[in-house]
Amino acid sequence: MIQKPHEDHIYIEALLKNDSRVLSKIYEKFSHKIVSYVRNNNGNSDDAQDIIQETLVTIYHQAKEKNFILTCPFDAYFYLLCKRRWLNELKKRGNNRVTISDDTTSITEEQEQQVEETEIFEKQHQLFESKFKELGAKCQELLKTTFKIKSMEKVAEILGVTYGYARKKKSQCMGKLTQLVKDSNEFHQLKAY
Amino acid sequence: MKEDSYILFDNYLNKELSASEIISFEEKLNSDADFKQEFEIYKSLETSLTSKFENEEAEKELKNTLSKLGSKYIKPENSIKKKGKIISLLSNKKFMVAASIALVIGFFLFNNGDPVYSDFSNHNALELVVRGNNNDAIIKAQDAFNSKNYKEALKQLTVLSETSNDDTEIELYKGICYLELNIYVEADIIFDAISSGNSTFANTASWYKALSMLKQKQFEACKYVLKTIPESAAEYKQAQKLLKKL
Repeated sequence: MIQKPHEDHIYIEALLKNDSRVLSKIYEKFSHKIVSYVRNNNGNSDDAQDIIQETLVTIYHQAKEKNFILTCPFDAYFYLLCKRRWLNELKKRGNNRVTISDDTTSITEEQEQQVEETEIFEKQHQLFESKFKELGAKCQELLKTTFKIKSMEKVAEILGVTYGYARKKKSQCMGKLTQLVKDSNEFHQLKAY
Repeated sequence: MKEDSYILFDNYLNKELSASEIISFEEKLNSDADFKQEFEIYKSLETSLTSKFENEEAEKELKNTLSKLGSKYIKPENSIKKKGKIISLLSNKKFMVAASIALVIGFFLFNNGDPVYSDFSNHNALELVVRGNNNDAIIKAQDAFNSKNYKEALKQLTVLSETSNDDTEIELYKGICYLELNIYVEADIIFDAISSGNSTFANTASWYKALSMLKQKQFEACKYVLKTIPESAAEYKQAQKLLKKL
């Protein structure tokens, strides 16, 4: 499916290129609304800053890994992501005395869909990351080296093992990781999408 | 699933199978749902982890840019209330009391998830008096720091560090200011330099390096640094406490 990027896709590209000039526009134009929302809902400006940064880093990863194309205006998409992230954060902190002042931002179906796409991407990303950490230290090290350095010959050399052994170990560790992901509750929730 | 399957997945993704092996592999994908599911997970993991580790450096750089922009464009409510994520959430008096008791005891009952920076960032007051010249800057730096006005403190400390060469304490407090202002690159450079030296502040600098990692949510790195703090250090107890929470 060929998707036509929205003109705001420049912000996604700026994330990929770490272009601080364009990125500063995001803060200049869009952060104000998010900061107000967080402050009005039991948070402070530090919280807002964290929420904004985490959201942008997630979008960065999605763009890098999945070639994410923004097909709707950035404003509503970004605002909704930050807002939901803040609500999640409040839940995590066990704050039950939340009074959510909900502003009625109208969003289109397309925007909703892009938001969801990003959220699912993040959930998967987090799941993989947490399961990776459950692996033994040896597996973690081997896989890390493998994915950083593409050539298995080099990996074997660095780790001081034979090529055949490195290959075998790699699929074993990946197999273990596959099992961990497959057996997790989160995976079954994600599958429902 | 058998180990052979994973080797097969790897070979298939690396395009190392012969034509006939590919055909039988793809046939199995179509007929065996379990096999297919595992293959899909394996493939996603491979893409996801490759992307993650390949871009680790780029991600760090992006975060630095974003932190700088964040502190530039998002102004704190006011400098005194700036910190204290927990306190501000629990503005209700009853909760305040409970929260401070919990903090004193050292159990962070309100925070079941990952520990947060503000739980551990109780800085010792800056006391630079009895230091000869530069009195004006010293007093200004001290007052600003002790009233949590880190921007001003940083300014004054920078003035001081230019006139008094290699004063480790001033450097350390500059680092703390950077850390409070979320300017991590500068903060980490300072802490690294001090902790690798052999001044009396080396362990304190390691502790702050760990706090910086904590604030940046790099929990593994944080743990790693904490483990380097020796039992003899004044920060040992706090370090162990934080380690337990991670």
